[in-house]
Amino acid sequence: MTQALIRKEKLAELVTFLASRQKVVGPVPLSNGQFKFAEVSSLAEMALDYIPTILPPKKYFMPQHETLLKYDVAKGQQMEAVVEVEELTLFGVHTCDLAGIQCLNVVFSDRPKDLHYMIRKNHITLIGLECSDYCDSYANCGMLRNHLPKGGYDLFFSELEDCYMVDISTHKGESLVEESGLFEPVVFEVEKQLQTLRKAKKKIFKSEVPIRYQDIPRLFDETFDSDVWKRLGEKCLSCGNCTNVCPTCYCFDILDEPELDLSKGRRIRVWDSCQHENFAKIAGNESFREERFDRKRHRFNRKFRYPMLRYKRIFCTGCGRCSRTCMAKIDLKETINALMEERG
Amino acid sequence: MGRPKVAFFDLSCCEGCQLQVANLGEALLDVLGLVDLVEFREVMSESWEGRYDVAFVEGSVVNEESEQRLCEIRQRSNVLVAYGSCATIGGVNGMKNRKLLSDVQSTVYGDKGDWFPVTKTRALHQIVEVDYFIHGCPIHPDEFIKVLKSALAGLPYLVPDYAVCVECKFNENVCMYDKGVTCLGPVTRAGCNSWCVNNGNVCYGCRGMVSNPNQTGAEEVLRSYDLDANLIANKMMMYNAAMEQCDE
Repeated sequence: MTQALIRKEKLAELVTFLASRQKVVGPVPLSNGQFKFAEVSSLAEMALDYIPTILPPKKYFMPQHETLLKYDVAKGQQMEAVVEVEELTLFGVHTCDLAGIQCLNVVFSDRPKDLHYMIRKNHITLIGLECSDYCDSYANCGMLRNHLPKGGYDLFFSELEDCYMVDISTHKGESLVEESGLFEPVVFEVEKQLQTLRKAKKKIFKSEVPIRYQDIPRLFDETFDSDVWKRLGEKCLSCGNCTNVCPTCYCFDILDEPELDLSKGRRIRVWDSCQHENFAKIAGNESFREERFDRKRHRFNRKFRYPMLRYKRIFCTGCGRCSRTCMAKIDLKETINALMEERG
Repeated sequence: MGRPKVAFFDLSCCEGCQLQVANLGEALLDVLGLVDLVEFREVMSESWEGRYDVAFVEGSVVNEESEQRLCEIRQRSNVLVAYGSCATIGGVNGMKNRKLLSDVQSTVYGDKGDWFPVTKTRALHQIVEVDYFIHGCPIHPDEFIKVLKSALAGLPYLVPDYAVCVECKFNENVCMYDKGVTCLGPVTRAGCNSWCVNNGNVCYGCRGMVSNPNQTGAEEVLRSYDLDANLIANKMMMYNAAMEQCDE
């Protein structure tokens, strides 16, 4: 069985079933039309019709603060590796965020492998949810083709008329379907509804910027010295909002936190940001990217050009979070448009 | 070698930061096991004649008397820690720096103003060398403990030099600007774990400004939210007025 369906009236029961097995997190509403992933025990607590959460689900894969090691100076250099992990089901993850997790998977499984990430990832069950329309005008998933599922989930739900079509991608997903006893075999009528949905989406989701996917890296190569960056640098507050909310920004700092007796302690990993002035500062107080525009340009290139060279994929998922959250209203689509205009 | 001799002092302040230390709860027991507390007016009556390994000084310098006292403490201390906004940036005491000192004196002491001469409010580092800073009004207990550990271990403590927004995003708060409220988080240095915003309040800038704020950028942001740049500047002056003379 690679696909199944679940009636809409059974969805609440499914969430209760999942929550009875392990911690479930899903999109919950906050004020001002915003959302966050948080623990839930029932479907009613979630808002499945949500726009991207403030922080992407990366916070479950690489937490803001994460203990990597414990040390005891009595034992000298011998340190104890720690992986703080719990079984977790992520429910209702949109395709942009699934793409983000796939990017992180690629980075952290690159050599040297990041075992903390790899172990934690194995404890997370991912249940995706298809978008039938744009969440808002900030999203640019169309240009990156992330409005469609491209794997990276255990189960993937597409909402249809009175049921969800469910794509089963892993053994973990398959056993959930079997154990819950809430799913039914797919019928032709439902398959047709999914085709209709996908056809409708083709009309809705277009490349938001007039550029072909394969031409994007070259644009950033050719506009490296563009004045567009200078203008962004004048606006940017270097608050780091864009990197913190980005589903593929994974830069971190590592700190030792001693206990009060100063002989024991832990080594922790904390999110860092290339937008901070100290990030690229080195010995002698030199900095690789002293100016705001350097840092802004670096971030864009880290999304659209450098990872293409190294990982053959663009590290922008099109979720629109950076544009949505930017205090200075630096907009990703506008930036790409401006670069294209300037290059001619 | 015995436990390090640690003392707490206060200059002009509300002593609220000392209260924060006294209120550490269980952690206070650990702290007391680690240090030899020799002077701390808020919680004990003893005093100490010898040298201090670490002196924590709260409050700002507002007259010659307190300046002398601070210099004496500095001379007697191996390590000096400024704690609380009054000590690290002048804090609310700095507001008087925007007025004539004679007016300030007569407002408080009426026609006896001359009996109580004051100076402009200054943060500790504007007078003596300060080894560690614990910003905040009041100080955040976690940061106090971090700095204490650094001071005892002889390690530097780096105050984050990025905006409160960073920690506020870590905590996934809805942005105050999205709620239509002005917040000083974008230009205030972090380290408080966005304490106020987590609890539904705005940031008042009590930790001081980041070292290199983008002023024109920030003004543009305010314009885009239809906010008056002077309004924000005034808000910033609640805690940071004493830092103005420092910039000159």
